[in-house]
Amino acid sequence: MQEKILTILVQDFEFQEPGLDDNLRDDHGFDSIDAIELLGKIERILGFSLTREEKEKAMEIRTINDILDYLERIQQGRAQ
Amino acid sequence: MKRRVVITACSAITPIGYGQQSIVESLRLGRSGIKPLRDDGLLTGHIHSRVFGTVDYPIDYAFNRSQRKTMGPVAYYACQVAKDVLEASGLSKESIASGRLGVAFGSTHGSPTVQRDIYQTFFQSLETEFSSIGAVDYLRSMVHTTAVNITRMFGITGRVIASSTACTTSSQAIGFGYEMIKFGVQDAMLCGGADEYDTTTVAVFDNLLACSVGYNDCPSRTPRPFDKKRDGLVVGEGGAAVLLEEYESAKQRGAAILGEVIGFACNNNGGDLILPNLDGITSTLRLALDDANIEAKEVDYISAHATATKMGDIIESQAIEAVYGQSPYVTGLKSYTGHTMGTCGAMELIMTLYMMAEDFLAPTLNLQEIDPRCARLNYTPEVIEASTRIAAIQNFAFGGVNTCLLIKNGNEVV
Repeated sequence: MQEKILTILVQDFEFQEPGLDDNLRDDHGFDSIDAIELLGKIERILGFSLTREEKEKAMEIRTINDILDYLERIQQGRAQ
Repeated sequence: MKRRVVITACSAITPIGYGQQSIVESLRLGRSGIKPLRDDGLLTGHIHSRVFGTVDYPIDYAFNRSQRKTMGPVAYYACQVAKDVLEASGLSKESIASGRLGVAFGSTHGSPTVQRDIYQTFFQSLETEFSSIGAVDYLRSMVHTTAVNITRMFGITGRVIASSTACTTSSQAIGFGYEMIKFGVQDAMLCGGADEYDTTTVAVFDNLLACSVGYNDCPSRTPRPFDKKRDGLVVGEGGAAVLLEEYESAKQRGAAILGEVIGFACNNNGGDLILPNLDGITSTLRLALDDANIEAKEVDYISAHATATKMGDIIESQAIEAVYGQSPYVTGLKSYTGHTMGTCGAMELIMTLYMMAEDFLAPTLNLQEIDPRCARLNYTPEVIEASTRIAAIQNFAFGGVNTCLLIKNGNEVV
């Protein structure tokens, strides 16, 4: 999953040398529009639609590690 | 408060070239920008008109992803010409962001390419595809996408006017921008219009029997404004922008003065939304002269709307004759570019500025035999080497909207 996310951030969002703890906004200019676009891509990776609550949770994300933690929680939640 | 308004920079991406040199060359050589309609895999098989005013040369866009993410194809045209204009103007970053510069910019209906992608997702069976329609798609496709992508890219914080009145979109934008400055609301306005390659518009006009269909095998022979063998309009694409500034401040900062907007009028026919209306158009032309406080005989040149539809050209020629008689030269510049819809008013104004600057007038392409039903005017059969002091730019739109802009040659502005 980490590789997929990094590939998306580099190819689609044109991140230069992303670090897992980089601040998405400050270090890569990632904004609210990007967040919405990324959620669409995440839905495609996961193969299901996110709920409104799940999407709102995503707005707390600040780093790539936060994205990976977020995905893990979503997948665990759905598995239960 | 009534202030004078001058044009200090301009740029146009047109089917006959990008920038003054290539556009003037096309006008002088009679080079048409009409090409075969490209297959869109959806509508083209059902459209009878197979021609389009096409921008078929590469444009070196240097927008980064942060800028591109909210832009559909129409915004690329808009932001590129806006960028050219701001760079050419020499305005400082501080004045661009001061709140005294506004934007009046529009398109016919945002980005139909993006809208088509959105509609296609409705026919997808996957729920994830449906849910992927989001804010970005809206920002790329919405009616005011050109205006706000420009404000975003350059940090412009003044008024935003996003006119969207089909063929009068950009002439209205320039007219409304002129009024913003004239009455002291803003000190400068970046004005214009853009429309992208779009077969939906072709299909609409094709169904209305307004498109040219008889020259599919020889695209450059159509449209034919005022010609006896004209058979309709040809849809086109492009983008065009001008920077308007208050005269005294432009002069003070040493800005190049390409022309002065001395008059503007906009009215409505108050009835039929499609048919051209002689009274409405005649009234617009007279209102513009009143606004400029000049007499009809002072106008040397008319850039006619001249779409090459059967009725439109006849009515417009009658209106010109009623107001101006047979004195001013008259050209239908759409004979070169096709009907670039939301762009045409600004594009034709810029082509007129170029001709004013280089002391010539382009002829109407394909005007071989004047339709006897059109009024007898001073049509330009060939390139004329002549200086123009004042020009009228006329545009009329579906919905019964009429506009007329009166422009004074920059060399005459004192």
